[in-house]
Amino acid sequence: MLKKKEKLSILAAALLMIFAVAPVSNAMHVMEGFLPVSHCILWIVICIPFLVIGVLNIKKLLDNNRKTLTILALTGAFVFVLSSLKIPSVTGSCSHMTGTGLGAMLFGPCITSILGIIVLVFQAILLAHGGLTTLGANCFSMAIAGPILSYLIYKALKKANVNKKVTVFLAACLGDLFTYCVTSFELAIAYPSEVGGIGASMVKFLGVFATTQVPLAIIEGVLTVIIVIGLETYAKDELKSLNF
Amino acid sequence: MNQIMIGLLLVMAAGMFAHGLWKSRKHHHHYQGIGHKHGGSVLSVDYYAYASHMRKWNATFKVIFSMICLLLCLIFNNIYVSLAVILIMGYMAVVIGGLEFDHYISMMMIPIVFLLFGSAAIAVGFSWDPIGEYNLSVFGLFYIYCSKASLWKAAGLIFKALGAVSALYMMTLTTPLSELIVVLRKAHLPKVIIELMNMIYRYIFIMLDTHSRMKNSAESRLGYVDFRTSCYSFGQVASNLLIVSLKRGTDYYNALESRCYNGDLMFLEEEKPMKKTQVVGAAAVVALLIVIKLGA
Repeated sequence: MLKKKEKLSILAAALLMIFAVAPVSNAMHVMEGFLPVSHCILWIVICIPFLVIGVLNIKKLLDNNRKTLTILALTGAFVFVLSSLKIPSVTGSCSHMTGTGLGAMLFGPCITSILGIIVLVFQAILLAHGGLTTLGANCFSMAIAGPILSYLIYKALKKANVNKKVTVFLAACLGDLFTYCVTSFELAIAYPSEVGGIGASMVKFLGVFATTQVPLAIIEGVLTVIIVIGLETYAKDELKSLNF
Repeated sequence: MNQIMIGLLLVMAAGMFAHGLWKSRKHHHHYQGIGHKHGGSVLSVDYYAYASHMRKWNATFKVIFSMICLLLCLIFNNIYVSLAVILIMGYMAVVIGGLEFDHYISMMMIPIVFLLFGSAAIAVGFSWDPIGEYNLSVFGLFYIYCSKASLWKAAGLIFKALGAVSALYMMTLTTPLSELIVVLRKAHLPKVIIELMNMIYRYIFIMLDTHSRMKNSAESRLGYVDFRTSCYSFGQVASNLLIVSLKRGTDYYNALESRCYNGDLMFLEEEKPMKKTQVVGAAAVVALLIVIKLGA
């Protein structure tokens, strides 16, 4: 019994140590150099079709109305600034939003993917979150998979006439959780477990990162709802011009 | 063979340290206090890049060199190559670039959470049977195990990732983003993306400034007094930030158009010629990394 208690207290101390040295928990960017070269290339290739569609879409938008350029740039800057701000947290560690769920709801997933990859490059260079070789993997999970799910949930629940706040919360929160699952999958296929292979490895990554990512997703959902309420109160006309 | 490698790395580290000491004695440069708060600024990387002594170097050269080192570090996947890359890149950023060592270390700490969590998940596994060199039974249900091979794998990965990060930092801590965008333009990225990047880079500073003012006024009204209120204030400030910027968007476009904007933003680009010593040095570093890989 005593031994078990000792073991438990050591485990608790180890856990506390991890949180004590955790000054920044960002939105789960795969860091530079964490993936093998073959996987880096694989994820970049997967992203290319989405990005081509995004560039074509933006070009069409600009041909119709050149003024959209500044608006697009401002929203890109907004997503970056949003992701660089410390969000309120209970534990005192500093964490950041992704902001791409909000982007997908406001501008649609195609444009968000282009803005997302630019924001990811800026985050890698200016904030040291993520990296250049892991850009493909991060782009797929944060700028493509998460926003697409957010957008689909938002559209589906809006059609079903669910309460707006619930819709926005679910879209942002589940989009964030999906990003976290996709990132875990990317890590799992790069580093499969000796026993149990990719499946077991995915469970490990999901479990380890759940400590930071699940509370973060809930906070992101709440904050997105507050932002959307603010936008609806003060900027109805601007939102209409974005087809929100 | 291992001893030779470790000896070589130690000699390298000692030489770099000595050069650093000698340089700091000679110059006494201190960059603190020029409108810069320690750890307070969101974009400290941008500040470091502008203050770096290596800003005079040709940007394309720095990008290519750091990318070669990064890729060599990833492809070779060798602990000695990774250590050499960490040493050389740290030396370039701190001693040649003139960045303070404390700042460099705090930069290296940014990805540490991801690194710890990610490598822990690789080193440790779950199983129904007691396998591996070290295992721990959890309530008699399953085993947490850890083998020597997986520990080595995780250690190699940590050094590889740190090497890659330091190669990236050598570039980002010495080259301002506007110069990196010029390099991307020369690499023929789509014009729309370059244009957007240039604009976003400039708008970021306007927004950060607006945000810090809104945050200050909210804070002075007890807007961040507890968790609930701070969530509310954060959301309000963020939505207001988007509204203000959307309203400004048209003004910015009008301002551009009144200066004959037709889809091309032109910026002043400084000519920064490459020096022979830099190219020779870079070639020597690449050769050294290949030799270390072949030797190990």
